[in-house]
Amino acid sequence: MIRWTAAHRRDAVERLLKAARAVAARASDLTPSLMRVTGLTAPVVDLGFQRHLELHPTPTEMDALLAATAASVAPVVTVILSANVFVAPLRALALAWASAPKVVVRPSRRDPILAEALVAACGDASLTLAPGLDLGAISEGEVHAYGRDETLRTVRASLPPSVRLRGHGTGMGLAILGPEATPAHVAALADDVVPFDQRGCLSPRLVVAMGPVARAEALAEELHRALGERNLRWPRGLLEAGEQTEARRYLDAAAFAGVTFAGDGHAVGCAPAPLLMPPSGRHVHVVPAANLDEARALVAPLARYLVTVGGDDVDVTRQLAPPHARVAPLGALQRPPFDGPVDRR
Amino acid sequence: MPEAFDALACDLARFQARHVPGYGRLCRARGVDPGSLTRAGDAPAVPTDAFKVASVFAFPPSSAQVTFRTSGTTLGQRGEHRVRDVETYDRGAVAFARRTLTAGMTAGDAPLGVAVLGPSPERAPDSSLTHMLSEFASRLGDGAPPGDVFLLQDGVLDLGRLDERCARALAAGGPPMLVCGAAFAFVHFLEGLDDVVVRLPPGSRVMQTGGFKGRSREVDGETLRRELARVFAIPPSDVVGEYGMTELSSQFYEVERGLYQEPPWARVCAVDPQTLAPVPDGTEGIARVEDLLNVDSAFALQTADLVRIHAPADGQEGKGPRHFELLGRQPGATPRGCSIALDELLGSP
Repeated sequence: MIRWTAAHRRDAVERLLKAARAVAARASDLTPSLMRVTGLTAPVVDLGFQRHLELHPTPTEMDALLAATAASVAPVVTVILSANVFVAPLRALALAWASAPKVVVRPSRRDPILAEALVAACGDASLTLAPGLDLGAISEGEVHAYGRDETLRTVRASLPPSVRLRGHGTGMGLAILGPEATPAHVAALADDVVPFDQRGCLSPRLVVAMGPVARAEALAEELHRALGERNLRWPRGLLEAGEQTEARRYLDAAAFAGVTFAGDGHAVGCAPAPLLMPPSGRHVHVVPAANLDEARALVAPLARYLVTVGGDDVDVTRQLAPPHARVAPLGALQRPPFDGPVDRR
Repeated sequence: MPEAFDALACDLARFQARHVPGYGRLCRARGVDPGSLTRAGDAPAVPTDAFKVASVFAFPPSSAQVTFRTSGTTLGQRGEHRVRDVETYDRGAVAFARRTLTAGMTAGDAPLGVAVLGPSPERAPDSSLTHMLSEFASRLGDGAPPGDVFLLQDGVLDLGRLDERCARALAAGGPPMLVCGAAFAFVHFLEGLDDVVVRLPPGSRVMQTGGFKGRSREVDGETLRRELARVFAIPPSDVVGEYGMTELSSQFYEVERGLYQEPPWARVCAVDPQTLAPVPDGTEGIARVEDLLNVDSAFALQTADLVRIHAPADGQEGKGPRHFELLGRQPGATPRGCSIALDELLGSP
């Protein structure tokens, strides 16, 4: 068995990053396929490559990623990809290769594009694709699986007890707008909503606006304006029929409970508690909270679903974020450091 | 009744737009002037989600005689349907049940034996189903004590008591029994039996409602019907489905296999899920329910249940009851990323 030393592990991740940079350099070749499988428009695919593919981690981030995987070195890691944003395979493969000298990748059936491109660009026999992999055939090492809870349960049930499963489920982001939040903060929040048409586990879907209802409504309207501006540069892709149905339901319920601002490619609703959950596809719900205690009560039932919490005031954000959630400034929710899994639950 | 239905419905819409603030907001958001309405179908329908997040009631909460609540979601939210005068609800439920569910079971208004695979109203005071079944027991039933009617005690179904009651009714030559419950309660009931048959007196019926998931399995509607018919020794046609919900005051009963009938005061329309425009009869859509008994809340409700309306025979439009098929719940959007899907977030805990 190969000793997978720290040097080996760092080298593997750096080779993967080099391959990712080569893939990103010809992103335009992949764009039509990515548009077809994700439903994103070309500008939004380009946005993903330009701002959300982690091509240049800092030395600190690399050290952190390697430290996060040091304790789990295994002979082989099998990566099961599904229900991800299209750039997610890079981090998933990096974590896997930092954990084992051999990595087998079963790409998402729906979107195998970046996983296939990365493996091909690496051209290394230690990193291979197995699209038809039967989970029942896995007998050693670790499995890193990404997908819905139901998918993860199926994976767990298919594996022998000796194989460790690291599951990464679906989730969402939350934003907190404090009393001092400015239009610039709201604009930064819009920058967090747009990527991947809000279909990532880091995408903010709910905003808690500290203060009275009138302030929350004003912030909702400001967010509507900011999203409208961004739709001109990064238009939203088509919503599937199911998404359109959910959007219709949300808009009518939000109009009943409060106010709505709908644009060509987004909608923002605002209503007092209880929470109304919007679908993804650039739909954001704003709920007022008079004080921190009220905000905590609103956030508590969502805690296990939150992957990231962002806000204009780091101290307030930290107080409201569950311990496992990443905390980020507005504008950076969808660009977490390359320091380990995105999802720390 | 079509002309009177639309006139009454539009009057209700105008009343509710004035007195239910959320409905006024919804009408304004949809660009509808309630004052100009002439057709029920032109009034916006309130999505059932609204009951979880806002008051859908034309009066102060203290005016409610009873508040029915939906089961909770994973976020702990329960929809509330307040009723100012529950007598309206009760009369409608019993009248339509006599016309459909229990029609022909006994001569005239002779009492039935009513048994419920569910808790008593004291144990489930905010369940509209429990309330309705309690009204059936009280207004249609033979006066059996509550312990013989409500068979779920402390989370356990008292199968022995049901068996004794059925045996007594059989030995006495009647009356027929009406055994009611949520479909999942019947699935649990079946899971608790081996090859036991709980024979019901001749002329008996079983009423089941809702989804079909039990502890260990999910059962499709036809399988449930077949198994209940076998266990209770009744024809499959005497296993009757009921369609209702907490947010409604009216109910719909299966009158032929798979076909549900509307009472004269309620209407089910199939609409396109994205545009909410009506779809032609015979086409699948989601159910928009117009319920004139929802006087104090929302007369038009938008659900996520899939239905198909069966067109009346030629020349019969407006002359007889309308029927629809229930096709299940519309699935949520297929997730295209790792953002949590709504149906994961809002499912039952």
